[in-house]
Amino acid sequence: MKMYLPPRGAPDTRRGFLKKGLFGGLLLALGGGGYLFTRRSAPVPMPGGLKVLNAAEYAVMWAIVQRFVPAREGFPPPDSIGTAVAADGIIAMLEEVTQGEIKQLLMLFENALPNFLFGLRTEPFSQLDPAEQDQVLAEWRDSRLTLRRTGYRALRGIAIAAYYGNQATWSAVGYPGPLPGIHDPNAPVWKGGEQPRPVGNGTMLESAPMEQP
Amino acid sequence: MTAGRIFTHEDLTKDLTVECDVCVIGSGAGGAWTAHELVKQGKRVVMLEEGGYHTRREFDMTEARAFTNLYQELGDRGTDDLAITILQGRSVGGGTTVNWCSSFRTPDRIIQTWRDRFGIDTLSTEILTPHWEAIEKRLHVAQWPLEMINANNKVLWDGLGKLGYERSLIRRNVNNCLNLGYCGMGCPVDAKQSMLATILPDAVEKGLDLYANCSARQLEWSGRRVTAVKAEVIDPAKNRFTGVRVTVKPKLTVVSGGAINSPGLLLRSGLDGEGRVGTRTWLHPVVAMLAEFPFEVKAFSGAPQSVSSHHFIDRGPGEVGFFLEVPPLHPLLAATASTGTGALVQDMLGKLPFINSMLAIHVDGLLPEETGATVRLKDGANFKYSITYDFKKAHWDAFRFACKEMAKLQFAAGAKRVASLHLDPVVMEKPEELDKLDAARFEPVRMRVLTAHQMGGCAMGKDPRTSVVDPHLKFHTMDNLFVVDGSVLPTSLGVNPQETIYGIARWAAQGIATALA
Repeated sequence: MKMYLPPRGAPDTRRGFLKKGLFGGLLLALGGGGYLFTRRSAPVPMPGGLKVLNAAEYAVMWAIVQRFVPAREGFPPPDSIGTAVAADGIIAMLEEVTQGEIKQLLMLFENALPNFLFGLRTEPFSQLDPAEQDQVLAEWRDSRLTLRRTGYRALRGIAIAAYYGNQATWSAVGYPGPLPGIHDPNAPVWKGGEQPRPVGNGTMLESAPMEQP
Repeated sequence: MTAGRIFTHEDLTKDLTVECDVCVIGSGAGGAWTAHELVKQGKRVVMLEEGGYHTRREFDMTEARAFTNLYQELGDRGTDDLAITILQGRSVGGGTTVNWCSSFRTPDRIIQTWRDRFGIDTLSTEILTPHWEAIEKRLHVAQWPLEMINANNKVLWDGLGKLGYERSLIRRNVNNCLNLGYCGMGCPVDAKQSMLATILPDAVEKGLDLYANCSARQLEWSGRRVTAVKAEVIDPAKNRFTGVRVTVKPKLTVVSGGAINSPGLLLRSGLDGEGRVGTRTWLHPVVAMLAEFPFEVKAFSGAPQSVSSHHFIDRGPGEVGFFLEVPPLHPLLAATASTGTGALVQDMLGKLPFINSMLAIHVDGLLPEETGATVRLKDGANFKYSITYDFKKAHWDAFRFACKEMAKLQFAAGAKRVASLHLDPVVMEKPEELDKLDAARFEPVRMRVLTAHQMGGCAMGKDPRTSVVDPHLKFHTMDNLFVVDGSVLPTSLGVNPQETIYGIARWAAQGIATALA
């Protein structure tokens, strides 16, 4: 059995670059995880039960969540519904290789070296004030480097999904949620064998509609 | 014939080897119809499905549950640079469990293109028609009545009417539909005639054994024959392998994992078709516009897709065409698909009942310069692939044109405000401001591009030097290996793909049965 090899003469060095992982190339270019400035991340109370993120990574995720869900009347504060912890939960469901990339990305965001190079800032992201944090996010979003825009897009997606995936946000957005009485949590689950298949909308019988509760 | 069984990770606690006539890998549109036709002929068929067996008992109409259980990579599969978000199903029934029910036969001009450009002389509208007729009867495919369309689709219908553009009502595969709007989360009443609710249980009744939570990792082969399929059982709570292995020893194997996972399995198995497997993957790239209306649109309520327009499907030589539909907008999908700062998201979602979104779904794979997406293995990943999409100038030109046309339609239907899905959205208050879109940058990861339709990657064709499977869907260099799913399509379609895949699978099953005999 032969092993998979890329096609002969596969062009572009970009593929090799990406092979290091989403953000590997950029990290490498900026000196990896080494900090130019060694200030510690802003102290954020570390909740119990985190599955993937360590204290430093959590502090960055927490700060990003605050920026994507700013205080607004009617919207539950993200901490009140555990949004940053939910973000950790989402990351935990991803594959390990992706988890590693996200952890790298969080620390790249935090790292003062790229922040210095790109924005002449000497503070880690989590220690900037909210307006400056918004500015950093906008710089990533509008960067000429696709990799930075990708990084922005990845972290934004996790923060937004962690917040709006929570039913506690439904009233803020005018979403009524599912109509009651439709979903049947006791509906039969048919697994074949000797058991007869229950009649319903999916069986060929054209008779009466399936009874609704 | 005794009924088969559906097994899940709970039933699969120790290593197992099963022998059969046919192993079908994947339970979506292609796998389900193939398996069904083969068990009907008395073949012993074993099906492997990586996703879980989730049924209406679990379909509680919440997005958080749906994205976790029913979609690839929690609904956030994407290209490496995240330029394209890929919505793709992952459970028993595959994409059909979560799609929005739009049912179209393959356009004749596409089948003609396949014949002219790729030598596919086995397929024609005539040959597929009896299959579509049987499928449409079984799946209750029927046009959704105008008086039943929801306000979100009405926006598109009215806008198209005002501008004098072509408009049609969509045919849907539903039986006793309650017009709820939760199709994307799994139908809570089995009204959607998904493979989960119809053809798979039909096939199990006729003897199909279906192993859910069972991920095919490798095809073992020697010479021109696949000898075994090696699969790992997945613990769905953690999405990790349990260590239990299932080995299937079939006389013939059918790969039906969809346009990303099928190439993935073949590449893992060293069957790379000299580098062609995973290339020329077509995604129907979608750009969308958001609009705020002075009246309630409630895009989360009612049949999600009932109106379409193919007015711009053929924009002339050198141009990329598109068709128009609308998506349902539930809060999690609306939020994650949105762009802009946190405050902008709050502005938009705070008005969710008044928001309409429109989709321009682009037909890729028809221009000579297009190469589409490339799917490759990703180091250290089991379920994630390296996916890159080679955008051409014609795509970005089409996206800009489509965004303007959608904004025109939304204003024509009465929108107060229209916004693009640029990372920094372009917001327009009146039609005179459409030229703001001329100034905006249309580039990868500057604006959101999505896809819910994955095609190609194992293209069929007569010439083994330019295709992966032959015009009967047999893998060129193997005697007992077929691919039957969206991955065999040599181009994209210009319509939602489920019915094309149903038809091709039902047709291909005849040839597979013959190959087995």
